[in-house]
Amino acid sequence: MSEQIAFWMLSAIAVLGALVAVRKRNLIHGVFALMIFFAALSGLFLLLLAEFIAAVQILVYIGAVGILLLFAIMLTERVTGDDGRRMTSRGWFWGLVVAAAVFVILLLPAIQELPPPEAAQAIDPSVKELGHKLMNPYVVTLEVLALLLTAALIGAVTAAQGVRIPKEEDSSE
Amino acid sequence: MSLDLIRDILIATVPLLVIFPTLFAFTTWLERKALARIQNRVGPNKVGVPLTRYGGRFSLFGLGQPLADGIKMLFKENIVPRDADRLFHLLAPILALIPAMLVLCFLPLEFPWTESLLPVQAFLLDGAVIFFFAITGLNTLAIFMAGWASRNKYSLLGGMRAIAQMISYEIPLVLSAVVVVMMVGSLNAAEIANAQADWNWFVFTPWGLAAFVIFFIASLAEINRSPFDLPEAESEIIAGYFTEYSGFKFALFFLGEYIAMFAISGLAVTLFLGGGAGPGVAALPWLSTVWFIAKIFALIAVMIWLRGTLPRLRVDQLMGFAWKFLLPLSILNIIVAGFAWHAQQQASGILKAIIWVACLLILYATAKGLDQLNRPNVRPREYKYAE
Repeated sequence: MSEQIAFWMLSAIAVLGALVAVRKRNLIHGVFALMIFFAALSGLFLLLLAEFIAAVQILVYIGAVGILLLFAIMLTERVTGDDGRRMTSRGWFWGLVVAAAVFVILLLPAIQELPPPEAAQAIDPSVKELGHKLMNPYVVTLEVLALLLTAALIGAVTAAQGVRIPKEEDSSE
Repeated sequence: MSLDLIRDILIATVPLLVIFPTLFAFTTWLERKALARIQNRVGPNKVGVPLTRYGGRFSLFGLGQPLADGIKMLFKENIVPRDADRLFHLLAPILALIPAMLVLCFLPLEFPWTESLLPVQAFLLDGAVIFFFAITGLNTLAIFMAGWASRNKYSLLGGMRAIAQMISYEIPLVLSAVVVVMMVGSLNAAEIANAQADWNWFVFTPWGLAAFVIFFIASLAEINRSPFDLPEAESEIIAGYFTEYSGFKFALFFLGEYIAMFAISGLAVTLFLGGGAGPGVAALPWLSTVWFIAKIFALIAVMIWLRGTLPRLRVDQLMGFAWKFLLPLSILNIIVAGFAWHAQQQASGILKAIIWVACLLILYATAKGLDQLNRPNVRPREYKYAE
């Protein structure tokens, strides 16, 4: 019973957070609403007894992605969005259609298994088990991902450095 | 939800919410007193029992000062800048306190009255250490929120500095904790503390010592303590992110900072200093709580000492130190610890000692080498028009 209550509360917070994140014209408010959504999602993972995933959800999505978003926003103009410009609302019909389609496709695996099985398969989502899985069958995937992230990081540094202006032109002005 | 569970949760959490703020009050007094002695002053020595006529007569070494400070903070005016984001300006100090309070429950701090409870303690969780790091990181957001909501360029600069610093130092912080997690084979805080019983503290091993030093330095930066207090450097950016805060909101920031100090010291005690282990624990189990808090205070005393003696770093020194010194050293430390663990499985006696000495030498040589590589190429200044 208490899990039911917690589930509905967390779900309500998640949906509200997501809605505010999309609707708010103030970008910073939007990012913080998005973080509330991530936190609620982490709570849902905790309800599923996936503690590690819950912790990583906070660590990666709030701690890293959220702060990255904040950094990106600080580099843009019109952060507060109160300069009177309106968002265009043309094409809302097709937007709704696409959203509904994505929703159905995401739910497809669950729909195919209707009616739901009586008891879920017992799994052991302990951190140790996850670690062994990451090191034994999925080690190549893990390394490739790490390499990809490193490449992205180096690329970002190179892009941010830009073209070096020769020093003589600077001093001649 | 059964009533028993609610009662047990309250018994387990309320003491944390009472004990640590009380210790906070005592720590502010201790810090002011210690800093004063370092600077050859006396420090607070007048307030004895506030709000009574005995305050002046029995001064009690100024122990009433924190209470007087608290009352002063409560009655001060709450000033909000006209252009500030009012909601975020209000939320930021609260958000700064919540993660600091929340992570306290991941410390394996067992009180005598929690023994008979249902297993509700969070430090028994499978990934308690990861949770600790994840939730500590949320502090950054509160600081940015405060800096941005104040609509003040100094506040914003302080907030951006805080984010850059915390992201940089979180990496060596976590990597140095990885060594301990590798050695124990668990992320469970209670298991890590129990693995260090009988003086097998990790700080007494070469890799543990290196990890402890890295962890301690990185934790100083993580909680904005001097010499890493650039986000609130008063000679450069007034007070950084809490420039526009006054009254009780300011007090909340202050409280959050000190609670975070307790929390990160508590994690250092858990990971490296044996948790609640100490002499006499076997006979009297409640002594483990006392030892735990005593070890936290030992670390805090070092922090106060450092604040009194070290000057503040420059921004480039701060970043260079994290990325060019601490990060390579902590990665090498993980590799050394891995090899040492495998070598120790077979070895015994004299071979073990050799492995220890070899590890110590490798780590020392690396630290020395990194230090040499990072030395700025500065020659003595040449004076043209003066001698």
